Amino acid sequence: MMSKAKRSILYWIILAPLVVVILFPFAVMFVTAVRPRDELFVYPPTWGFSEFRWENFAEMWVKTNFGGALLNSLYVSITATSAALILSIPAAYAMSRYRFAGKGLYKNFLLMTQMMSPIVLVLGLFRLMMTLGLVNDLNSLVITYAAFNMAFTIWMLQSYFNSIPRDLEEAAWMDGASHLTSLIRIFLPLAVPAIVVTAIFTFINSWNEFVLALTMMRSSEDFTLPVQIYSQVAGRYQVEWHHVMAGTVLATVPVAILFSWLQRYLIRGMALGAVK
Amino acid sequence: MLMVLPSLLLATGIIGYPILDLAWTSMQEVSRFGKLQGFVGWENFAEVFGDPLFYASLWRTGIWTGAVVAGTLLISMPVAMILNDDFYGRGLARVLVMLPWSISLTMTAVVWRWALNGRSGLLNATLMQMGVINEPIEWLAEASTAFTVEILVGILVSIPFTTTILLGGLSSMPQDAYEAAVVDGATGWHQFRYITLPLMKPFINIAIVLNVIYVFNSLPIIWVMTEGGPANGTDILVTYLYKLAFRFGQLGKASAISLIMFGVLLVFTLLYVVLLSRNEADAAPEDEVKGHDE
Repeated sequence: MMSKAKRSILYWIILAPLVVVILFPFAVMFVTAVRPRDELFVYPPTWGFSEFRWENFAEMWVKTNFGGALLNSLYVSITATSAALILSIPAAYAMSRYRFAGKGLYKNFLLMTQMMSPIVLVLGLFRLMMTLGLVNDLNSLVITYAAFNMAFTIWMLQSYFNSIPRDLEEAAWMDGASHLTSLIRIFLPLAVPAIVVTAIFTFINSWNEFVLALTMMRSSEDFTLPVQIYSQVAGRYQVEWHHVMAGTVLATVPVAILFSWLQRYLIRGMALGAVK
Repeated sequence: MLMVLPSLLLATGIIGYPILDLAWTSMQEVSRFGKLQGFVGWENFAEVFGDPLFYASLWRTGIWTGAVVAGTLLISMPVAMILNDDFYGRGLARVLVMLPWSISLTMTAVVWRWALNGRSGLLNATLMQMGVINEPIEWLAEASTAFTVEILVGILVSIPFTTTILLGGLSSMPQDAYEAAVVDGATGWHQFRYITLPLMKPFINIAIVLNVIYVFNSLPIIWVMTEGGPANGTDILVTYLYKLAFRFGQLGKASAISLIMFGVLLVFTLLYVVLLSRNEADAAPEDEVKGHDE
């Protein structure tokens, strides 16, 4: 057996190439975002540049309507997350605590919906939203994101709910509390951490979604962040790459930090439930 | 059950209805603007199956899915084993490996599109400054290199999820099997081959099936980096479908392809359900014990 120190060095050497490739895009983002515009297309290409231009961020904010897209993304992600949670908390509770007819069927149905990616259904969804008059309406994204995330939220919540002991609730019933009271007073407070973690992951999923937002939102005031940044790149003769990269930095870094902080809970939730 | 009903309704409405609508549309002649113009039976499907671009995309979808899934698994397995072991800086290593997961595929693809820029991209800068190449390479200008690079990016973004699943499996491994093996004089490779691999098989299977489903469906990387171009040279089924539906207005044909893809997905989903229930059956004795406690 190797000593821990030796092993650590060996492992980091093995991981090093992967880590470099993972960090490479981040480096590209930062270095481009703070570069003066006329140093974008230099030949031969180089990592170096003359000065840090933090003004790029402010310029980008105004020129690309970043603030508007940010608000759209926030609105869609927060509303969709709330909708998904309101619908899935009772469902997950029922899955975790009661036996009911068709439970197995329901479970498999959820699984199917999780496997169906938006892209296969995108044309049908687009036609549905046309019929409902919701094209170009951010609420179409709210509804679809909530629906597509539901399998994930129910699954995560259920796996955490299973780990909350029943005894407390049973004790409350003995004392004459109704099921509803015990649910609200006793169970939900215990479930808050699980709900928060699930909410944040649903938020990140909605925040990052691209295909549906690209399809449903036809006018630039309604773009969410991924679509807005994509629209700065696609089909343009002259791409303002320093603005694009400044935009991606602002759109990704907060989410990446949040995710890094919470990833262990995701691993735990998946280990408990989704992947038995 | 009243508590389950609302979620069931939403999911059926948003996910079930479009499938029926697609099935209906695929049998119709459809105008550019989505007006149904009469029943044509299987004509749309016939058109799809007579289209060489469909076969080219299908073939490329196979390569794309196979290469990304295989590559991901080959890298994720050793990474998961390392992350499961105890070493200095493991917490940091886990955060780093999981990092690509947090970023939307769109953003990742946008950054790579710039990094691979044929003249001034920073990948060219890196390789030239290291002296590996003398001339910048036009990574995305030719279909074969573009597609290869897209596969590599696909692998990179699939590693975190796969590693997570495998880590879940490794952490539930019984330690005594290894101790017994060490006593019997098993080397590292033998341990891996005869203990780790067989015990990990269910997790590897699940990782493969889930990755096949996700990668098969993945639009953003190819769409953002090359939009299936140059000259349809990097089109896979999803990008071809998207172009037909929202660029060329061939809605009937696009619905037909959607349904074909839906069929393929259904097969893989059923496979996944079978795998899951088999795993559950393996774990059943444990559940029995739990059942008595309640």
